[in-house]
Amino acid sequence: MESSIVMTGLSNVFTLYNIAAILGGTLLGLFVGAMPGLSATMALALLLPLTFSMDTGTGLSMLASLYVGASYGGSIAAILLRTPGTPSAAATVLDGFPMSQQGQAGKALGISLFASFIGGLISGVALLLAAPLLGSLVVQFGPIELFAIAVLGITIIGSLAQGSVINGLFSGVVGLLVSTVGMDLTTGTPRMTFDNINLFSGISFTVALIGLFSIPQALALVENSNAPAKVASRITDRLIPRLSELKTLMPNMLRSSGIGIIVGLIPGTGGDTASWFAYNEAKRFAKDKSGFGKGDPAGVAAPEAANNAVVGGALIPTIALGIPGSSATAILLGALMVQGILPGPNLLTDYGDVTYTLIWAVIFANVGLLLVGLMFTKASVAVTRIPDGFIACAIIALCIIGAYAINNSLFEVGLMLGFGLFGYWLAKAGVSPAPMVIGLILGPVMENSFHQSMLIGNDDYRIFLSSPIAVVLLCIAVFSVLQATPVFRWLIEACRRRTQLA
Amino acid sequence: MKINKKLTTAVLAAATALSLSLNAQAEYVAGEDVTVLQGFKPGGGSDVLAQLVQPYVSKQLGVNFVNEYIPGATGAIAWTRLAKQSKKDGSVVSITNTPMLMTNYIMNEAITYNIKELTPIANVVTDPGIAVVAKDSPYDSIEDLLAAAKEKPGRITVGNSGMGGDDFFTTLLIEKATGLSFKKVPFQGDGPSATAAMGNKIDVSFNNVGTVYSQVQSGNLKALAVFSENRVDSLPDVPTLKEKGVDVVAGSSRGYSAPAGIPDEARDQLIAAFEALKNDQAFLEDAKKRALNIDIVTGDAYGEMFESMEKEFQGIWQEVSAKQQ
Repeated sequence: MESSIVMTGLSNVFTLYNIAAILGGTLLGLFVGAMPGLSATMALALLLPLTFSMDTGTGLSMLASLYVGASYGGSIAAILLRTPGTPSAAATVLDGFPMSQQGQAGKALGISLFASFIGGLISGVALLLAAPLLGSLVVQFGPIELFAIAVLGITIIGSLAQGSVINGLFSGVVGLLVSTVGMDLTTGTPRMTFDNINLFSGISFTVALIGLFSIPQALALVENSNAPAKVASRITDRLIPRLSELKTLMPNMLRSSGIGIIVGLIPGTGGDTASWFAYNEAKRFAKDKSGFGKGDPAGVAAPEAANNAVVGGALIPTIALGIPGSSATAILLGALMVQGILPGPNLLTDYGDVTYTLIWAVIFANVGLLLVGLMFTKASVAVTRIPDGFIACAIIALCIIGAYAINNSLFEVGLMLGFGLFGYWLAKAGVSPAPMVIGLILGPVMENSFHQSMLIGNDDYRIFLSSPIAVVLLCIAVFSVLQATPVFRWLIEACRRRTQLA
Repeated sequence: MKINKKLTTAVLAAATALSLSLNAQAEYVAGEDVTVLQGFKPGGGSDVLAQLVQPYVSKQLGVNFVNEYIPGATGAIAWTRLAKQSKKDGSVVSITNTPMLMTNYIMNEAITYNIKELTPIANVVTDPGIAVVAKDSPYDSIEDLLAAAKEKPGRITVGNSGMGGDDFFTTLLIEKATGLSFKKVPFQGDGPSATAAMGNKIDVSFNNVGTVYSQVQSGNLKALAVFSENRVDSLPDVPTLKEKGVDVVAGSSRGYSAPAGIPDEARDQLIAAFEALKNDQAFLEDAKKRALNIDIVTGDAYGEMFESMEKEFQGIWQEVSAKQQ
């Protein structure tokens, strides 16, 4: 049965529509990634409502390929403009930009493209192999275990916040609070709905997402539209790298892909962490470190292989447990929810065909990326010249259309704009909206499974200790909270001192 | 020969249907386009019904059906729109799910429509309720389960598809009929409730035949009893609750309703079009392929179904909320 779902997923991807969706998605991702200031997350949030009218497979293929395309597209601006198109391409700037100054822009882009392709492909295959292993555990996951998963997911909030933990916790708590709007699933009592029937089923998390991620970015673009534009370097040499060059870079790319997958697996860490990690490791393993920072191809290959490998890695916990590993995977999870699929361990059993369609789409999106990248990388340079004001207007228009399309409701357009303004304020205050999204997703899961567990366990809290899986997950959660506190650092210090004394 | 016979019956049925419906080919009084308000997302159970029914009914009436999806508040947003803000000329109808149609406003004062503001047209499908347990569950029959509930009052955990859904109220009905009490655990839909039963996280899941049929067939779940009037064709070995002396018939049904006060002519035409489905072989075949249990009840009879359900659920809900206070 297992293999038949895998094949159904494969055949779902292999239709003319879906292949077109994959190529279109990668191309769009390439352009969005190339534009400095636009992130893959924002593009995904905007495209999400447009996929509602599509077939499930087509919609998911398009979103997955957009994600993959944007992961590579970020390197174009990094190499040519010295501005990373996406945060995860920041490490690529170090060696990519010097290469383009030396007239090797084409070579740098070519290496970036091939590294992205290899990283993405390996992680896609890893996803395909790992998913069924985790999927076989599904029946083991009842309310008690789900509660433990949700608690673990919530503890990620602290690490998702870049910079201040307090800001991250604030954003996460707001998300949890907003998730309580709507009918209580255990008692049926409407909460915080102000007798407004539009709020009875809660605040759609896609509405919040579009507002939080897209509107602030559009407003920021408008603010900076008077800044002098940077001029992109020209591509003068050939794009396709020599086989011998690829051969020497291969161990580096494989190592970086591995790093990308593992970093992706850890919820709360994403492409930016992985690319710096891979860059540092590439430097450490290199025999001749002198070229790094001055245009060493290895310094381009490592971060690019890693940030594309994150895609597959981050999807493993998303698919197997329903915990999104990053804000981008949170949106992919949202895409599944829109199709009536609840996040959770049964993604692989009850909705196996859809889930495997997503997995295959990730793999084929990387193949599509190679084709699209070879053909359109040169054209994408033009995208960086579009005035920011135009892009901002287009984004806001798409936000409004998108928010309306979710439930055909004008009320939700207003709600989206409200979240947009709140998100703008968050951005000004230096608070990341990502923890809020995690809170919105996991809040109902945690609350529900808590109520169910208490019903099943006759109001005895010890029920949570009755399941080995739940105990392990809760211990990890405790550890993840402790390691962020001074107590932990103090403990390590104490241990170190003792070993030094001994 | 057999095919021929089928064909003739089909032609005959179609002919009678046509003559019954007072020249069905004639134009529908409310115009060419009929809007169907759907209270749930595209691709859900309501949409499945719409995709099945509408091609046939549109041929009968000579109209185009335009689906409008207004999900939210378990259908209440769409039904409020139907009852309060839609044209009362027969050009707007909605897919009405029972018992949600009534339990929505019985349980929440903020939901203001009620069945008196609707014109019931026809029920089309009914998915009977069913009790399922894990394959390695200690309960092998419904008697085992009821005996266990008697021994441990309020300790047997029963999964349902959510507060206010059909399975939740079915549990209340069974409690009332047997005098037993269960611990009701709500899930977000029939699927998660069935999965929890499969993993022995709950003692039993009250579910719907359509949802769990394949899992029962493959042996992952044991079916203890169905909550229908008679045994279900697809599960002939599973007894009904009635056979076991528990007088409860329950399930989840979907049909079509219009706002109250539509012209009689429009109402008659709509009802006739749904009546004709009863004998439409192509339609019945199509329904079978989608594993839908056809249960066509039209006009006043559908209205009576609404009223008896409203009365039943109102009574139970009052008892429950009185107990809570």
